[in-house]
Amino acid sequence: MNRTNILPALGAALLVSTGSNAEPIDFVRDVRPIFEKHCYECHSGDQRKSGLRLDVKSAAMKGGDNFGPDILPGNSKDSPLIYFVTTENEDKIMPPDGERLSDKEIAILVAWIDEGAVWPDGVDTVTLKDPADHWSYKPLIPAPDGASIDSFIEEKLAENGLHRSPPADWTSLLRRLHFDLTGLPPTPEDLGAFQSEADLDPDAAIRNAAEALLASPHYGERWAQHWLDVVRYADTHGFEVNTERPHAYPYRDYVINAFNSDIPYDRFVREQIAGDSLGADAATGFLVTASVLLPEQIGQDGPSMRLARQDALDEIVANIGQTFLGLSVSCARCHDHKFDPITAREYYGMQAFVAGVEYADREIGSPAALEARKEVDAIREELALVDSRLIGFLPLANSGTTRPMVSARQNIDRFPPREAKRVRFTVLATNELEPCIDELEVFGESGENLALASRGATAATSGQTIVADRHDLNYLNDGNYGNSRSWLSNAGSGSWVEIELPEVAMIDRVVWGRDREGQYRDRLAIDYRIEVAGADGQWHAVADASDRQPYVAGGGEDHAGFSTDGLTAAEASEATQLKEKRDRLVREVNEKQGATIAFAGQFREPDEIRLLLRGDAEQPKELVPPLVPAALGDLELDLDAPEDQRRLALADWIASPDNILTARVMVNRIWQGHFGTGLVSSPNDFGNNGMPPSHQELLDWLAAEFVRSGWSVKHMHRLIVNSETYRQSSAPRADAMEKDADNRLLWRFPSRRLEAEAIRDAILATSGRLDPQRYGRGFDLFDLRGGLSGFNPIESPSGEGLRRMIYAHKVRREPDAVFGAFDSPDGGQAVANRGESTTPIQALNLFNSTFVLDQAVALAERVEREAEGGAENHIRHAFSLVLLREPDPGEIAELLPYVEEHGLAVLARALFNTNEFLFMP
Amino acid sequence: MTNSSEHLSAAGRVLLDRRSFLTKSSTALGSVALASLLGRDGLLAASAGEPSVDLSNPYIPRPPHFPAKAKNVVVIFCAGAVSQLETWDYKPELIKWDGKPLPGGPAVTFQGPAGNLARPQYKFRQHGKTGKWVSDLIPHLAGLTDEIAFIHSLTSKTNTHGPGENFLSSGSLLDGFPSLGAWTTYALGSVSRDLPSYVAIPDPRGVPQNGANNWGPGFLPAAFQGTVMSSRRPVRHLSAQGVSSSADRASRDLLQRMNARHLEANPGDAKLSARIASYELAGRMQMSMPEISDISSEPAHIMKLYGADDTSNPDKAAFAKNCILARRLIERGVRFVQLFNGAYASGGRLNWDGHTELKEQYDVHGAILDQPCAALIKDLKQRGLLEDTLVVWCTEFGRMPFFQAGSEGRDHNPDGFTCWMTGAGVKPGVSHGETDSLGQKAVRNARPLYDFNATILHLLGLDHERLTFEHNGIARRLTNVEGHVIREMLA
Repeated sequence: MNRTNILPALGAALLVSTGSNAEPIDFVRDVRPIFEKHCYECHSGDQRKSGLRLDVKSAAMKGGDNFGPDILPGNSKDSPLIYFVTTENEDKIMPPDGERLSDKEIAILVAWIDEGAVWPDGVDTVTLKDPADHWSYKPLIPAPDGASIDSFIEEKLAENGLHRSPPADWTSLLRRLHFDLTGLPPTPEDLGAFQSEADLDPDAAIRNAAEALLASPHYGERWAQHWLDVVRYADTHGFEVNTERPHAYPYRDYVINAFNSDIPYDRFVREQIAGDSLGADAATGFLVTASVLLPEQIGQDGPSMRLARQDALDEIVANIGQTFLGLSVSCARCHDHKFDPITAREYYGMQAFVAGVEYADREIGSPAALEARKEVDAIREELALVDSRLIGFLPLANSGTTRPMVSARQNIDRFPPREAKRVRFTVLATNELEPCIDELEVFGESGENLALASRGATAATSGQTIVADRHDLNYLNDGNYGNSRSWLSNAGSGSWVEIELPEVAMIDRVVWGRDREGQYRDRLAIDYRIEVAGADGQWHAVADASDRQPYVAGGGEDHAGFSTDGLTAAEASEATQLKEKRDRLVREVNEKQGATIAFAGQFREPDEIRLLLRGDAEQPKELVPPLVPAALGDLELDLDAPEDQRRLALADWIASPDNILTARVMVNRIWQGHFGTGLVSSPNDFGNNGMPPSHQELLDWLAAEFVRSGWSVKHMHRLIVNSETYRQSSAPRADAMEKDADNRLLWRFPSRRLEAEAIRDAILATSGRLDPQRYGRGFDLFDLRGGLSGFNPIESPSGEGLRRMIYAHKVRREPDAVFGAFDSPDGGQAVANRGESTTPIQALNLFNSTFVLDQAVALAERVEREAEGGAENHIRHAFSLVLLREPDPGEIAELLPYVEEHGLAVLARALFNTNEFLFMP
Repeated sequence: MTNSSEHLSAAGRVLLDRRSFLTKSSTALGSVALASLLGRDGLLAASAGEPSVDLSNPYIPRPPHFPAKAKNVVVIFCAGAVSQLETWDYKPELIKWDGKPLPGGPAVTFQGPAGNLARPQYKFRQHGKTGKWVSDLIPHLAGLTDEIAFIHSLTSKTNTHGPGENFLSSGSLLDGFPSLGAWTTYALGSVSRDLPSYVAIPDPRGVPQNGANNWGPGFLPAAFQGTVMSSRRPVRHLSAQGVSSSADRASRDLLQRMNARHLEANPGDAKLSARIASYELAGRMQMSMPEISDISSEPAHIMKLYGADDTSNPDKAAFAKNCILARRLIERGVRFVQLFNGAYASGGRLNWDGHTELKEQYDVHGAILDQPCAALIKDLKQRGLLEDTLVVWCTEFGRMPFFQAGSEGRDHNPDGFTCWMTGAGVKPGVSHGETDSLGQKAVRNARPLYDFNATILHLLGLDHERLTFEHNGIARRLTNVEGHVIREMLA
């Protein structure tokens, strides 16, 4: 806004008339009614458009986000307030809708400001709450001696005339313990053992069952999922290209392992922020879990790049604030936080701690990783040997044997060895558009790629379209695969590329591809010619597409190009074995490599961080050093603090016992994991806008106990599951429903529907097909692991597709076709507590999906295998596996005719859909 | 107005716990008791904008904030950023400047160096009583301009497709925010008992650039996400593959019997009966969905009207069938239909992203969009459905008045582009806002996309400032902290 000439429309007469007004303006009598009438609707209380409120003196005099201060005492001419009520600009005039201020009202405001904008203290009807005066920023409330979970809960129940429900039956309790601690159902054998022990000593039975479950590796698989929801973990980069993030999973494995080994929570926090300095490299995957635009997706104009970087940093700050502190720090990105004591400057201070973090893979330095790297090198050597033998079975070009159709991924053109100085690849036709080649490789006997620029080879072309960071002739022989490192022609048929070797060499094959990463299948050369010129400069054709199978669109352009056509039976057998060995070795390399690289961020010289007006990267203001909100701590570093020191300092500050939010927030998450709702029902927001705790003394006692135990998460589980509160029945009682239908006071255990993962895992565990393999690269839910489009679900998984769902390769925003509808988060934003919706789509998925039908058949087969006798016995055994109980005689009579007529699978399918199976009791 | 929330007692805060509404008021009794408590304390007014949702029955119809002009919406979403200069925004000056550099223009835009100004690639002519200038690319739609309210001065916050489509669909650049359709379903529930409330129909050529995020629930409960289907692809899992109908019925009976017994043994738990009801609803959906997606029952003159019989252009015919499907869904009470025209990133081949050979590619895209889309509007109108159906045509941003250096296409331009609405509550035959004489930047009545979304909600009877959902400490809205209804587009 142009501050000069701020009163274009106001006539001089008006100014004169107010100037002659003898009686001074009184704020309460004259001014406030105008504000009330015209401004309060948008500028008072929680309504603070553009950050401006006019109902409290201190806030009003400070002004709004954009033009504040809006009231300049003694200077109405330059006061934005007057500009906005008088301007002729339809987009700016205030109020935007409804009645405008009258000339008289404007004159009063002008006179009031010119007289010094006197706003007496103590006249405001609203007092501004000090945002730092809030329970969660204050010290823990000390607990009385002998306090326990049950004592706190009982006290509140009694205050409200309520009492605890009787204990749950043993079956319900054991199912509850198992699902809660491991996400898997107990077996009939588990139940038998538990029941006999419980009959003698219930406390010991529960204690022992809980200990066994906490010691099970499945415990970490269950509780890591809760954590991954909060940090919105996924295995793709998100946004439009949604490319695979192949090395994200070491962070998932880190989290699972951290829960299993009960590493102290303060260490868990520190490792996730600064694990690179603490021997826990994969842990810093936490910093970069969000969606991010890849460099090639970001515009090449300055504003695009700055906005993308700001968004990427904002996601890190948001993650740290919500996850560890339960604070929506990001609210202060554009203006001071509306509710909590966080200024915009402090928000950018938080950014400064992570301003050197890049979303990228990093080599891991742990001993295990070093070991894995050695193994990878060894496997690679073996792979090279297998490759060279395998290549011997490839038909030579133009040898009379039909060769496979061209592949978008990779093609090998093999020919008798000949002397070469130059190699030319001419494209005669493509499947569509101008041709693109990601890498052209030339090999001789040595098995080394002679075409590499790093070995002195040079590239030439008939013409190209250069796209920065994506297409360039130099990328043809730079040793990097994929579309984003490729040559793109500027013309169609007849385009060529040429490699000139540094010296004449014997060569016997050329290897080329469109996109070896398998994302693109267009721009593929489907007809081509390869020529070689020796020292004499004479060109000789060595290969072309005439002996390849004709190209068919959708005919498997991304096949690997292996074929045994034209081989003798013995050759074919040997080649097939080699191929299988090769596939195994490639898999091993991929797996081992996972241990050497993690998408855990790269750390570099930090960006200079400035306060951005309205969060706009194009409006930078003063420099901001790394600092935390003053209301929460006094950590502030120098502007030039080294990158790693920044994150370490932040980690130490968060993980300190003095930071009361840290412990409170985590014990609340643990409580929520057990009871479905936290003591604070807004787990990611402990600020002024969050919900007050239902039992603050209990929350604080738990927080103190957490720190006292050495931040042991398992200690908290023990306290909770061994309590009477946890052990109660979940049956509703009419008397209590009337007083506390929401069960916030916990007069019963809150039963709830199993989560997406628990349903899938429980079905597999029950059908006997669950693959218990732990850790590593995730299994596929879709036919693609990332990409633009077309994720077709794998309807009938087998092999590792039957692993626990936490090990699914999580494609951001693509919910699993069957279980996604059960409120499984999409990896976009943090989900601190899942909804529990009930929809017909869930019913369709669970009743009709091939997945469930497959498992129903598997369960039927298992039952028939395991149970002797006829249909009646089968029903009994199916009930005991799925529901952990005997059917009663009436039930058997009811079900038997169906099973006899249609077979056991119809019952199995129904059992997987019953409420009894789907609810944690 | 006094600021009630700052003076609320702790008890009042608990009563206002929005999550409590969402996840825990499992019984009608609970909701009633809560409502009466709130009513007595006079607290309802403070939070009246946030829908009270019982997740055990998330689709119960809920009242709008004020009487709605539109009951249903069809959003025609053109992915890839349609050039305003080749469609709705007539810039004769550009013809004069063809081939000349733009003085003071940007040296580098999204994809690289800027080239010279380029004339509109299609001839424009005037249409209808309003004399609206529209290009020859879209002759059928051009015939409807008297019914349409255009806005020529929209702006986006980004020039990148992914965040741009997020921004149009969800009001946020970032992934993971609820889509417009999800907000609508969350606010209003469903009127149909046997169909989803919100359906997303991807283009026959593929899904749009930011895929499922365009119809995702974000942090709203999954119940509010769009259900994906098209004329080619029915809703998943409508029937059990490889199971005989008698075995299917047997499983259904068994389930019903076991659930009934279990309910009897566990009285008073509303979540259990809600799940039983969801299977009944699913059963109804199984009956109605195959019928609704069976386009073959449409008479020949309707197929012809939409161009669904155009065997010479299979993509157009397939998109036309999607348009017919959209009408059938609206007819049967689906509240929100999102109809995509254009697919994923493909160098402009499969969507409107004309960077290199714009004219050549738009010839293809225009033919697919024009007749089917115009037919949909005409068909809704002739059936009287346009009375309470809002039709929205939108795209994530516009394109530059100059070509990219060395190419014959236009780069991304978020500073001034055109979208439009027609139907229920919309003022016919108006054009609001203007870009500069070359069509590069909005210069008159510039409106951020927030305003466009606020206007759609307004027509549905929803105040975009009151439609909130508490997420991670923020009362989130479709329009963030922005948005003004574009009154000039309203009847």
